[in-house]
Amino acid sequence: MKNIIKLTEVHKIYESGTHALKGVNLEVQEGEFLILLGLSGSGKSTLLRCMNRLIEPTSGEIEIDDENVITAKGKRLRKIRRHIGMIFQQFNLIKNMSALTNVLSGKLGYVSLWHAITFSIHKTDIALAMSNLQRVGLEQFAKNKARNLSGGQQQRVAIARALMQNPRVIFADEPVASLDPATADSVMKYLGELNKNDNITILCSLHFLSLARKYGTRVVALKDGNIVFDGTPNEIDEKKFKDIYGEDAEEVEIR
Amino acid sequence: MKMKKKNKAKAVIQSIATDLLFWIYIFGCLYYLMHKWTGFTAKLHLIGIAALLATLIFQLVRGSIGVKIFLSYAKVKRSFYKSAWGYLTIIALLITFVVGVNIVEVDFYKFFTKFQNAGGIASGIFNPSITGYSLSATSINELEKENLPPDVLSTLEGIQNRKYSTKKVFLEYLQKRLGESTLQKYRSTILKSAEKNTELLNIALSALAETIFLALLATVFAIPFAFVLSFFAARNLMPRTWLGNIVYLLVRTVATIFRSIEAIVWAIIFSVWVGIGPFAGMLALMIHSIAALTKLYSEQIENIDSGPVEAIKATGASTLQTWIYAVIPQIISPYLAFTIYRWDINVRMATIVGFVGGGGIGLLILQQQQLLRWHNVGLLIWLIAFVVWVMDMTSARVREKLGGM
Ligand SMILES: Nc1ncnc2c1ncn2[C@@H]1O[C@H](COP(=O)(O)OP(=O)(O)O)[C@@H](O)[C@H]1O
Ligand SMILES: [Mg+2]
Repeated sequence: MKNIIKLTEVHKIYESGTHALKGVNLEVQEGEFLILLGLSGSGKSTLLRCMNRLIEPTSGEIEIDDENVITAKGKRLRKIRRHIGMIFQQFNLIKNMSALTNVLSGKLGYVSLWHAITFSIHKTDIALAMSNLQRVGLEQFAKNKARNLSGGQQQRVAIARALMQNPRVIFADEPVASLDPATADSVMKYLGELNKNDNITILCSLHFLSLARKYGTRVVALKDGNIVFDGTPNEIDEKKFKDIYGEDAEEVEIR
Repeated sequence: MKMKKKNKAKAVIQSIATDLLFWIYIFGCLYYLMHKWTGFTAKLHLIGIAALLATLIFQLVRGSIGVKIFLSYAKVKRSFYKSAWGYLTIIALLITFVVGVNIVEVDFYKFFTKFQNAGGIASGIFNPSITGYSLSATSINELEKENLPPDVLSTLEGIQNRKYSTKKVFLEYLQKRLGESTLQKYRSTILKSAEKNTELLNIALSALAETIFLALLATVFAIPFAFVLSFFAARNLMPRTWLGNIVYLLVRTVATIFRSIEAIVWAIIFSVWVGIGPFAGMLALMIHSIAALTKLYSEQIENIDSGPVEAIKATGASTLQTWIYAVIPQIISPYLAFTIYRWDINVRMATIVGFVGGGGIGLLILQQQQLLRWHNVGLLIWLIAFVVWVMDMTSARVREKLGGM
């Protein structure tokens, strides 16, 4: 097993003065399904976005797949990003475009500017996009506008878009927080399947211990920008959970 | 603590500056009125001194407008002085009103008694010239065969080839020359041979087409410029580096300046530059449209959902690819709506711009008005009203379909 992600003393201080990450150290092995827990505002989104530089970390070292993320610029940064899929709470699809086009946009990191401008798309890419849609069970919705799909379907399109990148890692930032419990489980199932069958390393932030136990191989908890727990899902008992989420947090766990 | 002191000092300065401006304005207005009514003159710096004194007094009693606005936290017991700002405001409004009435030369007497001066244009509007009347050489030939008395015939020969804008104008003129009874006798004979023409209507329609196309071209040419510029004028797209900030500020500022210069001023500039005509009008509207659309477009960009932009960026797409795939799809239909709205505005402005040398139907109105041909002006006004009405309706419909605005 190799170390695919390595963070050393990562800090993030926003312009507003908020110290969102206070020296995070983290090593992730290839093939892990890592669940990030933590109250809202604890720094989960900031951490995930620092790792692909959607947000500029203030200081620290970040290595992903043997590439130094911090020093990467321009083309090299784009090359690093194209192997990192990202899933968002709000799905972040382009609403008035078809599911297929949305999936195809996952390939943008690979195509030249000219191809992007002229919207000229390789036949093989279309076939690949279709097969990715098929993997998430949406091939019959390829031509539907994203805005007409349900929340769960939109998130599955987003997964297909990430797959299009041929990712080594997927960051999922509360991917199921806007979905109902049953849909949430089905979306998590697709992520779990990618983790097992394609050996994609997954970092996923969540609030539900039940889902963490079902899919996660490791749990890391953040509190005020610090890692306060790092272990297996089963190691989290009621007391640890309350440490992470505060005294009156029992209800969150039920789902 | 230090911060607070600095803020207080700033508030005091703002308060004094406000009062000073207020009193300069009040004494300036009073001086204007006194000068106008009594011919009183004084050195202008006296106004400044008086304003300074008044500021000082009202700052000291803490009842001035500046104190009220900027130092209101320094609330003390209510008293007559402390609420002076209220009376001062009322006095200032009254003085402003009196000065305003004087400057604008408001004269209700003229408004209610001099309506007949506008009689020409009013009758023109109610009786627009759709067909013009004239007696051509052939008409005269025909009339010669009709056994008309020689004096009538010679009168008619005297107005050969003269053009009258409506039947009514033609007959009124004949009545003046021939007398009512003579005219009644030969009226139908004369009208039968008179030549009708739609010359003006033809000219008007082609001028109208000129105006519409001028507005269309101005809009179409403005689109690519505004489209590109709008990306650089959008805060959320411009990186917050020094270069990004400079480009953003530059585009914003230039667009604001160009937008605040009215199209009519641009038309004057361009009618000197490229000569009077539709091209000058088009350039004027184009410049104004670029500035206006850049602002509208960039505001649209600033309102987009940043989620998809982030998602596309995360796939490793370049900045330009991100714009093409995540920004443009979100703005395309509001852009269309704005553009059609702009065309609508441009058609209206094109008539105005015509007055100052921008060509089209505006220029035609100006010419006809200078010749006092009110019936012709009437026709042109109706045509413009019709086109504006149609444009307004269609553009509203289309915009509704696009779901914008
Ligand atoms: N763009 C931003 N600017 C300033 N502060 C931010 C920004 N984004 C997040 N924060 C702050 O950083 C902290 C961590 O936020 P976030 O990473 O979103 O937490 P989580 O995803 O765990 O809810 C919070 O205090 C939040 O208010
Ligand atoms: Mg978050």
